[in-house]
Amino acid sequence: MRRAAALLVALAPAAAAATEPAQANYMLHCMGCHVSDGSGAAGKVPSVRDSLPRLVASAAGRRFLVQVPGASQSTLTDAELAAVLNWMVRTLSAAPVPAAFRDYSAAEVASYRHAPLVDVSGTRARLLSPARAGG
Amino acid sequence: MSRLDRIVESMARGVARRSSRRHFLGSLGALLCGAAVMPLLPVARGAPAPAAGPAGADPGDPGSCDYWRHCAIDGFLCSCCGGNTHSCPPGTEPSAITWVGTCHNPGDGHDYIVSYNDCCGKASCGRCLCNRNENDKPLYMPFASNDYNWCAGSQSGIAYNCSTARIVGRAR
Amino acid sequence: MRAELPAEPSTSESLPPAGPHWVWVNDVNFFSMPDGQAFLIDADAGRMLGMVSTGYSFNSVVLPKAAAGVIYSPEAYYSRGTRGTRTDVVTLYDTAHLKPVGEIQIPPKRASVMPMSAAAGLTDDQRFLLIYNFTPSQSVTVVDTRSRRFVGEIETPGCGLVYPTGARSFFSICGDGALLNVTLTEEGKAAARERTAVMFDGARDPLTEKGIRLGDTWYFVSFEGTVYPLRATAHGVELGRKWPLATQAERAQGWRSGGLQHLAVHRASGRLYAIMHRGGPYTHKDPGTDVWVYELASHKRVQQISTRHKAGSIAVSQDDQPLLYTCFIESNVLDIYDAQTGRFLRSVEGVGQTPTIMVTP
Repeated sequence: MRRAAALLVALAPAAAAATEPAQANYMLHCMGCHVSDGSGAAGKVPSVRDSLPRLVASAAGRRFLVQVPGASQSTLTDAELAAVLNWMVRTLSAAPVPAAFRDYSAAEVASYRHAPLVDVSGTRARLLSPARAGG
Repeated sequence: MSRLDRIVESMARGVARRSSRRHFLGSLGALLCGAAVMPLLPVARGAPAPAAGPAGADPGDPGSCDYWRHCAIDGFLCSCCGGNTHSCPPGTEPSAITWVGTCHNPGDGHDYIVSYNDCCGKASCGRCLCNRNENDKPLYMPFASNDYNWCAGSQSGIAYNCSTARIVGRAR
Repeated sequence: MRAELPAEPSTSESLPPAGPHWVWVNDVNFFSMPDGQAFLIDADAGRMLGMVSTGYSFNSVVLPKAAAGVIYSPEAYYSRGTRGTRTDVVTLYDTAHLKPVGEIQIPPKRASVMPMSAAAGLTDDQRFLLIYNFTPSQSVTVVDTRSRRFVGEIETPGCGLVYPTGARSFFSICGDGALLNVTLTEEGKAAARERTAVMFDGARDPLTEKGIRLGDTWYFVSFEGTVYPLRATAHGVELGRKWPLATQAERAQGWRSGGLQHLAVHRASGRLYAIMHRGGPYTHKDPGTDVWVYELASHKRVQQISTRHKAGSIAVSQDDQPLLYTCFIESNVLDIYDAQTGRFLRSVEGVGQTPTIMVTP
């Protein structure tokens, strides 16, 4: 209840400026499940705050972030999805983003997107296993 | 929903809306209560755009289906149930998992991103049921389907009470 | 002197084996959702036979094909009605008394959705009951009805609902227009999950979830009224030749199929029944007062039935004198027609609060 109340406080009516497009797309296509700060819902939707910086540190992790159904099956174009992912990595990561992180391009997103993942939770667990920490 | 309602509702929506409220009570069109038929928005194809009001203007009745923020809502309006556009009735919990859409505010001419958080933990409020199926997609496209009970994402559980219409940003 | 009326004992009725003209009308009871219900109606007599009380966000009873002596009902309960601990169960009701005779606890994840037949289903040998979960993660619970035990949960990310295709197989429909074929081991565990190629364009003209099955083929109708036959073969599921329910002229007039349960099939004659109405795009849930009937083999429309009342849901009995049933969520009247001639036979009033979908033996 406290967290929900904090969410409501944090999301007080908008400032005068339009929301930046990548953030607006996050709100429309991702926020519904991952919530405004990426923390998700305990036991229901995983938090992305800790996993984002770790996943983008590997090629397999970068691919995973595009292949999860919420990303691959969204109605965002490849360019829009790339922009949202870049915004998420740079804004929602709780830990510092790896210095070597390069933005996703539309072409890179397109190359991963049409091979949707069946074993999402298994892949996620492997990519985030302690053995890979710091890899 | 009568044909007049549908015409009125599609006029009221505006071009900028990109997605619709997804709620699973969407079929109960004729069980609407408290819904005025005539729109608040004087939008007609070919007519000049209405002059924008002052920034932050928020016209209309939040207890009505054609309040501008309800452009894509499906469910009981929390404003009729002891809550308001962003606050749940006492004793119900806002579900963090929700559907999000955009609606045009005629008061200031901007498009706003609206989050329709459900309030959960009590049974149906039963008042002010508003219903839209436009841009609805089947259950296997969950983020565009109005047939899910989004209280599934709350910690209180799936008992659904009503829906809010909360501004979370400005689309343009 | 007249004899008195005899004193009577207080008893409960019991039911004979189900007749072909019995129909279950499910009711999610929207305005009082902890109190889901299903009503059993004798359509020949126009009489209610009994009911079951089925908990929160109730979907539908599931009827095994052979006389199993029980029906299944996936249900959800809170320990305090709308709050407290949630427990999901599959309740087994005996067909003679409609009393709970068994209960199988399942993960408290069953999808709380607008009622749909495809939210649950039995494998073709009737042994495994499959239940769609949404938390919002998507998965399928597998229950062994023989041992009356929960077997496991199979993740189906990006894909929803269950469409059985064999004794150990089913598919779910994925948000990108592909299908997910799932095969089970003999004991009901996941053996394989494989996506097919994309079968339809979900962005432009998605299939409604309310497919019906004849033999090895599931028939779906898209929002714009195109029939998609999806046939299960040894190599997976294949898309057959598509065909439209309405002519071009009719489509120009806005004729579409819509409703909560807008399709039904009469298996012996191979006929598809579809609720039709005139409306614009995204009226795929609108009721209609027309039911059009097609031969699935030839695609020919053979009958157009006008209904007395708006129909949002239809079902057809499977015997050789079939009845057509219609109901609508905003009304509690069940209407009954001769499914071959379209002749109205009778109504049964007072069936539930917000009746949703129907099931026939």
